[in-house]
Amino acid sequence: MSKTIIDMKGIVKSFYVGTPNELEILHGLNISVPEGQFVSIVGASGSGKSTLMNIVGALDRQTAGHYSLDGIDITKIDDNELSSIRNKKIGFVFQTFNLIARTSALKNVELPMLYAGIPSRERARRAKELLELVEMSDRAGHMPNELSGGQKQRVAIARAMANDPAIILADEPTGALDSKTGRLVMDIFHKLHKEQGKTIVLITHNPDLAEETDRVITLSDGSIVGDRMIGGQNGGDAE
Amino acid sequence: MNLFENIKMALASLKSNKMRAILTMLGIIIGISSIIMITTLGNILRKSLTDTLNSQGGSKLVAFQITLKPDYVRDYYMTEDLITEEMIENVSKRFADEIQDIVIQGGYESGKVKYRREDLDVYINGVNPGYIARTSDEIIAGRYINDKDLAKGAHVCVIGEKQALKLYGGIKEAVGQRFTVKFLGQSHDFTVIGVFKTKMTAMMSAMTSMNTTAEDWSEDLYVPYRALSKIYGRSDETFFAYYALVNDGVDPTDFCERVKDYMNSRYYRDNDSIEIRYMTGEAEMAMMDQVMGIVSMVISIIAGISLIVGGIGVMNIMLVSVTERTREIGVRKALGAPNSAIRSQFIIESIIICLIGGFIGIIGGILLGNVAGIIVGTVAPPSAGAMVLAVSFSMAIGIFFGYYPANRAAKLDPIEALRYE
Repeated sequence: MSKTIIDMKGIVKSFYVGTPNELEILHGLNISVPEGQFVSIVGASGSGKSTLMNIVGALDRQTAGHYSLDGIDITKIDDNELSSIRNKKIGFVFQTFNLIARTSALKNVELPMLYAGIPSRERARRAKELLELVEMSDRAGHMPNELSGGQKQRVAIARAMANDPAIILADEPTGALDSKTGRLVMDIFHKLHKEQGKTIVLITHNPDLAEETDRVITLSDGSIVGDRMIGGQNGGDAE
Repeated sequence: MNLFENIKMALASLKSNKMRAILTMLGIIIGISSIIMITTLGNILRKSLTDTLNSQGGSKLVAFQITLKPDYVRDYYMTEDLITEEMIENVSKRFADEIQDIVIQGGYESGKVKYRREDLDVYINGVNPGYIARTSDEIIAGRYINDKDLAKGAHVCVIGEKQALKLYGGIKEAVGQRFTVKFLGQSHDFTVIGVFKTKMTAMMSAMTSMNTTAEDWSEDLYVPYRALSKIYGRSDETFFAYYALVNDGVDPTDFCERVKDYMNSRYYRDNDSIEIRYMTGEAEMAMMDQVMGIVSMVISIIAGISLIVGGIGVMNIMLVSVTERTREIGVRKALGAPNSAIRSQFIIESIIICLIGGFIGIIGGILLGNVAGIIVGTVAPPSAGAMVLAVSFSMAIGIFFGYYPANRAAKLDPIEALRYE
């Protein structure tokens, strides 16, 4: 039995807690993702996808409920520990790439390792390796503004892989790309999933992309309304 | 995340906004360069003044002069108040072991010397043989006034090098010649016994180079003061002041105290308003230091204000930079940068702005100070203490004014920051 990477029980997220405007966005979600699963979370805008992603990505804390990531209980930890978790356990891929400007592709990939305190020679070696993985070796020295959207996203994926995280958290990674380059990016995710056994959480509103993954969790109004395994079986452990 | 990485990152960020970085540094540059300039200038003036004083007897030369008693009843001098030759004579006998020379300036007249068709200005100084010690002059031909010349009130004179060249066509040629000078409405004949040359110290040459007429004519010449007394029709001479050059190893201040007490108890005890006061070279130096101190303080205050304004400029730009880079900060946080890494990134950036500004300021200050120094004729190194102070002060400004923006960056909520457009 493979281990559980994401273990969420009764996750509630409310804003303006304690004021008359208190607003509950997520209503007690239970999600369990085993290691090596490629799961997509779909839902219309306003369904709570982003809020959920922020919690999964340790950018935000839930108001109630329990969340453990790769065996670490992140319910009650301070900001510094949270940043260390983001650094080592999570690889973010954003819709708008978010490469650091005026910083070469190679340096961008090195950045998470820099914050992890990895020595510079080792950083450079691993960053080159990762750029090779996303077929961007020949652009290592290029600045973000010299790269196309698809190329930027590939660098961003390499960056997400830098500290060999427990999960890759991709938020609409093809949203800003045309279908052809989007396809390329999706292929890289599939490659990482198949060849490296990465656990990947893909947040998207594109049902076609979701269908490519192992499992689709559908969110609506802050509740899970669908959870199915592609290929017929029911996901079972989400509700 | 080590310091070196932070510095590289900060430099890259400054490089991408060069113009802004330079403008931001300007306040710091101006502040630091004025501090360095004034300290450099202070060193130059001090060195220059010390050189001049040393060439004129230095700290061994002390002056005694008459002054009003604190409880004076009249505020003017009378003939009886003045220092007599007898008093000086007694002092030099009483303190003979300690005194190397007594320096006296008696009368002083301006006169005219005929040269071809023009009248050249000269200043006739009535002096004693010891007088040469308090000037920067040296004899290059003949001799200086001696005791015999003085005793007789002989009509002899020591003229300047340039006068000798102009009037007699040579320095050696001048000795023994007749020197006719018109003053007090009459012509007076003197015999040239010697020619002097002024050893220029830096400050003096700077001053004379501003005065172009001094180039081909020096106006001072020396005669025994009793020669002038005779012309005035006086049998003895009185003075407002005289100088003494003390022997090596004599403490000038202690010597002065004893001479002052001696003279006051002997000659001025019964005087209702006048007494003797003294002045040492050290005291002159101290006065100069005091003036320099005030000047430095004023400039330092101005520089300090400029540094504070500069620091506020740095803070302003850092705040702008934090706002501009909100999204970058969000990304860095998402990638796992702890708050401390973000904070140190921005503080180091601010320190680097200030340090670069500080270094440019130091270089600028040294240059400005030495340009002024070249005009005065002395070049002095800037004080190392001031440079260390300038560097640490600019660093402190960087930290102080960088902390608030950096802390603001560090405390940004990553979600908000990532969403920032």
